[in-house]
Amino acid sequence: MQLFYPYRHYIITFFLFAFITAISLTFRHQLEMTNIILIHLLPVIVIALRGELIATIVITTFSIALLALYIPPTLSFIVHEMIYIWSFVIFYIVGYIITTQAKRIHLNSIKEILYHTLSHDLKTPLSSIMGNATFLVETHPLDAALRYKALSQIIESSRQMNRLISSLLDSARLQNPQTPLKKEWCDMEDLISIALREFRKDVLHERIECHFSVELPLFYGDSGLLMRLFVNLIDNALKYSDEEKLIEIAISTTPTEFFITFSNECPPIPPEELENLFEKFYRAGNTADISGSGIGLSICRDITHAHHGNIHAHNTDKGISVEVTLPILKRPAILKMEEL
Amino acid sequence: MKPHQLILIVEDDEAIGRLLQLAFHQLGHKTLLAKDRQSALREVQTRSLDIVLLDLGLPDGDGKELIKTIRSKLSIPIIVVSARSDEQEIIAALDAGADDYVTKPFSTNELLARVRSTQRRFLVFQTSDPLIICNDITIDVTQFTALKHTEPLKLTPTEFNLLKYLMLHRNQVLTHGKILKEVWGIGYQSEMQYLRTYINALRKKIEPNTTTPTYIQTELGIGYRFVCNGPAQ
Repeated sequence: MQLFYPYRHYIITFFLFAFITAISLTFRHQLEMTNIILIHLLPVIVIALRGELIATIVITTFSIALLALYIPPTLSFIVHEMIYIWSFVIFYIVGYIITTQAKRIHLNSIKEILYHTLSHDLKTPLSSIMGNATFLVETHPLDAALRYKALSQIIESSRQMNRLISSLLDSARLQNPQTPLKKEWCDMEDLISIALREFRKDVLHERIECHFSVELPLFYGDSGLLMRLFVNLIDNALKYSDEEKLIEIAISTTPTEFFITFSNECPPIPPEELENLFEKFYRAGNTADISGSGIGLSICRDITHAHHGNIHAHNTDKGISVEVTLPILKRPAILKMEEL
Repeated sequence: MKPHQLILIVEDDEAIGRLLQLAFHQLGHKTLLAKDRQSALREVQTRSLDIVLLDLGLPDGDGKELIKTIRSKLSIPIIVVSARSDEQEIIAALDAGADDYVTKPFSTNELLARVRSTQRRFLVFQTSDPLIICNDITIDVTQFTALKHTEPLKLTPTEFNLLKYLMLHRNQVLTHGKILKEVWGIGYQSEMQYLRTYINALRKKIEPNTTTPTYIQTELGIGYRFVCNGPAQ
C-alpha cells in the first residue's frame, strides 16, 4: 500500500476516469458532445490542483485520448472537425493555468507558515536570550549561581533556536518537490545517538532509556531528515513530560517495517486531540505555557510521509507514546561476512 | 596549544570575527582578520601564520581554491567554518586539504578543541612503533592483534584494517569516501553499506555502550572521527 502512496493522486484520478467513462457511455445520447467534453475536463482540473505540470500533461493527454470513444469516427484517434482540436487546446490551457495558480498558492502557504513560525516560535527563545543577557549586563554585583543560571539559559535557548531553524530549513527542503531525499544507508541507532548529542547533558540527565533490537538492519533513507525527526521527537517528549521522569526510545523491526517509539510520562491527551498533534501549529489545549514550536511535530509527519511511513500518538498507562512506522523499501545486500 | 601564535581568521561576518578574535586573545594569541579571499591571500603571502580559520561562504569566491593555495605554500592547520547543511561543501573542502571543520553555530570550546587537536597532529611524527594505543585499546600492526584492556578482541581482517586506519588518524575527521578508499581500496568509494555495517560491528566490539559511542563518533553526512583523548604517542 505504502508503495503507491506517492502516486495516490494518479490513482484517484484514474478512478474518476472510470466513473466519468461509465456515466458518459451510459448517457451518451442524452448528454450530447459538449457535455461529454466538459465532463472530461473534470480529471484535468482535479490533477491540476496538485500543482505539478508533468502530472497535468499526462492526465490531460489521457483525457483527450479517452474522448476517442465519443468523437466520430469513434475508437480511432482521427479527428475530422477542427472544433475538437480547439477543445483539446483549451484542455491544455485550462490545465496549465490551474497548475501554475495552484503552485503559487502552495508556495504562498509555505511562506505564510514560515512567517508565523518566525514571528512566534523564534521570538520565544530570543526573548529568553535577550532577557538573560540584559540581566547579566545590568545587574551588579551578581551572585555566581545566578550568573551561571542565566548563562545556562542563554545557551539552552540558543540551542533551541538552532534546532528550530534547522527544522525549518529541512521543512522547506521537503516542501520543494525538486529536491529529492538524499537517501543513503542509515544506522538507526547511530542516528539516535547523534540526535541525543543535540541536547545538553544536564537537560537529558539520566532520563533517556533505549531499547534496541540486537541486530538492527541498515535503513535506506535520508540521514539528515531522520536525525531531525528523532531530535524533534526527543525534544517533544522532554517538553511535554513530567520533570525527572524517564523517556524511553525503542527501535524494532519486522522483515517489512521499522518501528520507532518515543514514550514519556505525562497526563493523558484526549483521544480527539492526539491526531491533531501533527497538524501545523497545533498545540494541545492545556499546554499554552510550554515554550516551543507548533511546527516541530508537523515536520515529523512530513519526514515520515516522505519516507512513505506513518506517525501516530497514543496514550499509554503512564503517558504518551509516539510511534513511527517506516516501511523497508530497499533491503541491504547481504554482505559476505569474513571469518574471524 | 603553544602561546603567542598568529592565527588568520578569514570571516566576512563582523560579529563572529570579533568573537573568534576575543577567544584567541584570551589565550594569549595574536589574530589577523581577513574579510575576503583577496586580503586572506595577502596575509598568507606576507605573514608567517600558525593556523588558518576559514569561513567557506566568502563574498568573493570559492573557499576551496583558497585552501588549495594555502596548502601548496604552507604546512599549517586549516580549519573550515561552515553553515549547516553544506555537507558537500565540507567534504570538498576536506578533500582540497582542510584539516577539520566546525559548523555554525559552534561553541568556542568546540572550536578551540578542534584547533588544539589539529595542531597536535602537525607536531606528531609518524612512528614506526608497531603498537598503536588509545585509552584501553591497543593494536599491534605487525602481529595483527588487538586488545581491549587485557582481553583480546576478535576482529575480522577488514575490521582490523578499519580500526588500524581510524586509530592511526585519531581525532581527525575522515570522510566516508576516504575511509572506503584507504581500507577497501579504489573503486569502493561509494559503498556506504560496507562502511556502515563494519563500523557498526566494530562499535559492538570496542564501545562500552553503542548508543553513546566514545571512540567512533559519527559526523553526520561527512564521515567518522576516532576520538582519543589520551596523551599523543
